[in-house]
Formats: sequence, C-alpha cells, structure tokens
Amino acid sequence: MPYDSRDDKAFAFDGDWREFAPIALTNLLLCVVTLGVYLFWARTRERRYLWSRTRFIDDRLEWTGTGLELFIGYVFALVLFAIPFSLINFIALNGAMMRGHEGLAALIGFVMYLFLISLTGVAIFRALRYRLSRTLWHGIRGGSDAFGLAFGFSYLWKTVLGSFALGLLIPWSMTSLWNERWGRMSFGPHRFHAEARAGSIFLKFLLFYLAPIIAFFVIAILFAIFGVFAAMLGGFPQGGSEGGGAPPEGFMVILFAIGAAAYLLFFVVLGVVALVYYSAYFSEAVGKLTLGELQFAFTATTKDWIRLFLGNFLLVICTLGVGQVFVGYRNWTFFIRHMHAYGEMNLDTLTQSTTREPGQGEGLLDAFDIGAI
Amino acid sequence: MLSTSARSDRSDPPGTIRVWHYDGVNGLRRAPVLVVDGDRFTLAENGASDGPYAFADLLARDAVAGETVFGLKGRTGWRIGFPEGVPDVLKPLLPKPTRYGGFIDRIGLWPAAAGSAVIAAIVVVIVLNSPSVLARAVPPSVERQLGDLMTGDFGDRSCAGPNGPQALSALVERVDPGDGDIDVRVVNLPVVNAVTLPGGHIVLFDGLIRKAVSPDEVAGVLAHEIGHVKHRDVMESLLRQLGLSVLLGGLDGHVGGYTNALLASAYSRDAEARADDYAMTAMQKAAVTPLPTAQFFTRLSKGEDAKGVGRLTAYFASHPMSHDRAAKFLASAKTHKGDRPALDADQWASLKGICKTDPEAQKKPSFRF
Ligand SMILES: [Zn+2]
Repeated sequence: MPYDSRDDKAFAFDGDWREFAPIALTNLLLCVVTLGVYLFWARTRERRYLWSRTRFIDDRLEWTGTGLELFIGYVFALVLFAIPFSLINFIALNGAMMRGHEGLAALIGFVMYLFLISLTGVAIFRALRYRLSRTLWHGIRGGSDAFGLAFGFSYLWKTVLGSFALGLLIPWSMTSLWNERWGRMSFGPHRFHAEARAGSIFLKFLLFYLAPIIAFFVIAILFAIFGVFAAMLGGFPQGGSEGGGAPPEGFMVILFAIGAAAYLLFFVVLGVVALVYYSAYFSEAVGKLTLGELQFAFTATTKDWIRLFLGNFLLVICTLGVGQVFVGYRNWTFFIRHMHAYGEMNLDTLTQSTTREPGQGEGLLDAFDIGAI
Repeated sequence: MLSTSARSDRSDPPGTIRVWHYDGVNGLRRAPVLVVDGDRFTLAENGASDGPYAFADLLARDAVAGETVFGLKGRTGWRIGFPEGVPDVLKPLLPKPTRYGGFIDRIGLWPAAAGSAVIAAIVVVIVLNSPSVLARAVPPSVERQLGDLMTGDFGDRSCAGPNGPQALSALVERVDPGDGDIDVRVVNLPVVNAVTLPGGHIVLFDGLIRKAVSPDEVAGVLAHEIGHVKHRDVMESLLRQLGLSVLLGGLDGHVGGYTNALLASAYSRDAEARADDYAMTAMQKAAVTPLPTAQFFTRLSKGEDAKGVGRLTAYFASHPMSHDRAAKFLASAKTHKGDRPALDADQWASLKGICKTDPEAQKKPSFRF
C-alpha cells in the first residue's frame, strides 16, 4: 500500500478529552484508595485509550499490555535491584564512613554510581522494547531480540564520555544512544534504522551550553549599572564602610526585586533554551529514523514544545495537581500531532514479529523513578 | 487499498456473520464470514475455511467507535471485529470486556473503591504502628550485629586521651548505673550533637563536649540518648522508614517523599519527647541537676522562631522545639534535692580533653581502604 503523507497525515488522533476524563478521574480515585498499587492498571487503561484512538495510515493502534505484567515487573525490579541497592548503600557506605575509611566509602559509592548508570540504560532499552512488543497494528507487533545489557554498557561509557570535554560531547552521546537502541528494535519483519547525527544540532546545544554563562554576565552587568546609578544619585556610599549609615529601605526592596527577577529569568531562559535544543534533537532523531520503506518526521517547533510544557505546568498548578492525570493525554496528542510518515508499507510482507515477547513491563524504569519518552 | 466492504451488496446465508479479521501471521485485513456451529465457529473466505475455534477461547478487547473486537487465547495479533456490532444471538457466547481490571469489574467501581480505601487505611495504621512492636521483637544480638556492621570501632576517630575513657564511664555509670550493654564513645568531629546507633552504641561528638559548660550538661544529653537505647527507638525508626518507603514507593516521587518525611518526623518527635522524659527521670534518680541541660536547649532555641514560621515548620522537624524542651527540663528541676556534680573537676578536665590530648585522634583523617 503506497502511502504519501502529503495528501493525508499518516498519524492521526481522534480521541476527545471529555471521553478520556472518566478514565483519568477513576484512575486517580483508584490510585489513591489503593495507595498507588492501581497505578500500573491505570497506566494500562490510559494507554489502551490513547492507542485505540490513534490511527496510522488505515488502521488503529492497539495496546495489548496488562496492568499485572507492569506490576510484576515493578516488584521484580524492587526485589532484585532497588532494595539490595538501598541496603548496600545504607550498611556498607555508613559502615565504611563510620570506620573512617573514606577511601573505601568513596570507592563503593563510585562503583554503585556506575552500576546505576548502566542499569538506567538497561531500563530505557527494555521499556522501549516492551512498548513496541505491546503495540499492535494490523495484528502485527514490534519488539527486539536484544535484552538491553549491551545497551546498558554503551549507555555507561557514552554517558561518561559525553560528560568529558566539559559536556560538549553530550549531543553526540544522545544521538548515538538513540541510534543504538532504535537500531535494535523492529516492527513485524522490519528493522528500524536510525542515523541521527550530532553535527546538525551542535550549534543549538552550544546555545544551551553558553546560555547560563551569558545570562550570568548580563545579570552581573545589570547589577553593576544599577549600583553605579544608585551611587550617582547619592543613595548610599559604594564601599559601604565610610558612610556607616544603613542603605535606605526602598533601595533594598528594589535590589531584592531585581535579584528575584534575575533568578527567575535565569531559569525561564535556561528552560526555553533547553527546549530549543531538545526540539532540535528530537526532530533530528525521529527524522533520521526509518522502518523498511517508511520514513518518519517530527515537526514540532520550539514554540510548540514551550506551549506543551507551559500548558502542562499551568494545568497542574491551576487544578492543584489533579490536572496531572491529563498530562499523559496532552503529551501523547502532542506527539501524534507532530509525527509524520512517508513512503510505503507493504501489507503482504508485513509478517508477525519473531522477537521474543518480554514477560514483564517497565519495572526497572519505575523502580528507579526514571521518566521516558 | 484494502476494504471492509459493506454487506448490503451480498446475501450471506443465515447463521453467518460478516467480520473483519487479522490472523496475526501477516498484516492483511481479511473479510471472512463467521459461521456459527454450537459453541464453536469457523471463518470462511473465498471457499476456504479456517477453524474451528471455541467461543470460550475468545478474549474481549476494547470496543472502538462501536466496533466490538475480540482476540484469541495464545495467538498474538489474532483479531476479529464486528463492524455492525455483535448480533444478539452471539452475545451470550462472547466474553465481556474488562474495564478497570480484575476484581473491580466484578464488584463494581464504587464498592471496590470503598473496600480498597478501608484496606489502605488498615495497612497505613499497621505500617506506622508495627515498627514499635517489631523493634522490640528483634533480638538484641541481631541489633548489636547490625550496629557493629555500621560502626565498627569508628576507626581512629574514637578518642581515648589520658583518663578520658574512665571519666566517660564514670558519667555513664552515674546516669545509668549497672548497665553494661551501652557503649558510649566520643568521636573527634566538631559537631554539637550526639547520635544513637543500633545495638546500644552512643556517639558523643567532640564539639558537644567542648561547648558544654559543665559535666551536668553532657549528662543530660547522654541520658537522653540512653533513653533512645532503652526504647529501641533506632531500630523502630529504621523499620518504619523501610515500611514507609515500600508503602509509598508506588506514589509519585515527590508526593511520596513529603508524606514519608511528614509521617516519619511525627513519630520521631514522639520518640524525642519520650527520650527527654527518660532523661529527666534518670537525672532525678542520679541527683544530677537538669538546669544546664535546660540552658543548653535555651541556647539552641536562639536560632528558632517560637511563634510564627518556626511553629509551622516544627511539623516537619524531627525534634520538638528547643524552647519547649528547655521549659520542661527547667520545670523538672523543682523535684530535685541534694544534687551533686556529675563529675569531679579532674574527671571533667579529662573528659573535656579526651580528643585534644589523644595523639591518635588528632591525626588528620586519612583515606584508608
Ligand atoms: Zn534524640
């Protein structure tokens, strides 16, 4: 079936938030009364709704995961990793510190930190594999034959190397890890290929990288100008010591207001610049992704990303947190709205995936509280 | 383009229903007719027939836009859908879709929510209250091993200047006579504090000893820590932390963290108040004046705001307000008669210099493996 997204968008979402609200609100209720245990079933219900209202070319997606498998995955990860981890942390690290073996404590801490980074990589890989294996389209699912251990190791060394050279290699580590994990995923008989490159997003990263430094200088200059200005007006002596009198209260209030505004501005600017980079990264990453004859594209601009984040922020704040239950819905519709596909998908050769179906879900990710996109 | 052609232009034989179908082997969407045969059915298309399948092996999937969809047990991707809804004759044979999952669908949303809320309340009460029972059930030998594992011999940080350890033992014997199970050490750190670790290990930091104006003040702090040991507060708080972190692990990171801190600190304030009560009783028995201890808390309270913000944040604090503690110690002084100094001048001098005069402890802490 040849398909060209120029006539008609390949991805479309036809759900409605009023239709989703009963799901979201009953999920919230059940999560509260079960002390969070229902979370895994809630997430499953939410995905079942979102997937089923998402059309790709000529058919809807279907989410086939279950709450129980997510729950089992979480318990596994908790018992196998999180609990031993906190015990080691608590007993070994405290013990070494109390005995005055700072060197040993530092070594234990360092090794655990490296282990935690690799585990994060494994978790990200396995979550992606799980999601593809539970996504059905035309009765066909995705998956991967890899367990993610190799990716965990890559994640470790690429993250460590990425932070070298003062963090300038981060775009490289992000794109190359994206390529590596997607390159091991498949849908039906087709393997994904990802060839995202760091070069094209490096300038935007540099902007993000330099923004705090530039912002710091701008703020410092503003303060200096204000100081000179105040001194010229004879508000109070510059050095502070010779005059002896306390600065007038109005002056302190203004100074404080400027300081607070500068502080706030700093984070707003940094957040916006981070989104400039992230939107470039995500477009590059999705844009260089192919599946068989299909090519993908992601067209959200920085403005779209800012609108998404600001909207989520206001939604949560204005509803005193209840709006949190709609954040997943907003993120998904944002993702589908800007996702495009071009090329061809031949249904005759779209055969069932032969990858091993993972038995349980995103446990590691949950146990270590890592978000994933 | 594949089609799910309308049925109006065909005349299907009776007992057959037009469906769409994926076989889960390839992605082609088929349009067979479902032929019912008792509790089984076959799918017929272009003269070929697929099946038979049992209705009992069907799994209900979510209905989308009025289309009811079913999967088949053990067959990934196998689907049949009824574009015009399920005919009435088939309805009793087909499984019902799950909505909330598991038992909630069986008993209904509101009963399930109410039942879960009751269970949740019981679990919270148990998790909060069982540690005090459990802590007492942990054999002292096990707690001691845990404590040893954590503390060891404190490396070379534990001070032993000339006559210092003897002065320290004398002080312990004075506030807690005839108890051999408590191990008190002074550790060379400039911190005005003391901690109790599992297994009856009490650590007084050198900063506290140096700041103290009299041995009676140190005796007050020591008696408080001994109160923690007698009540097994450390074990209890460890178990409570463990229980809460597992219980609240399901909640979103921050919410869980705050709830955990709030609950844990409420219990910790109770434990602190109990340890203070123990200290006041012990000091009365030992005839050591509580006034310097009261002054110690008054000094601490200088940094607190007893009314506004301080009162409010006290709900998050692990200790009661120093201001209130000072008042309690001050009041307890009224019941004292014939108080004697906790240590004589020589012993006090030795205790004061326990770290300063210990050449081992004065060595700079080194990185050791
Ligand atoms: Zn205490």
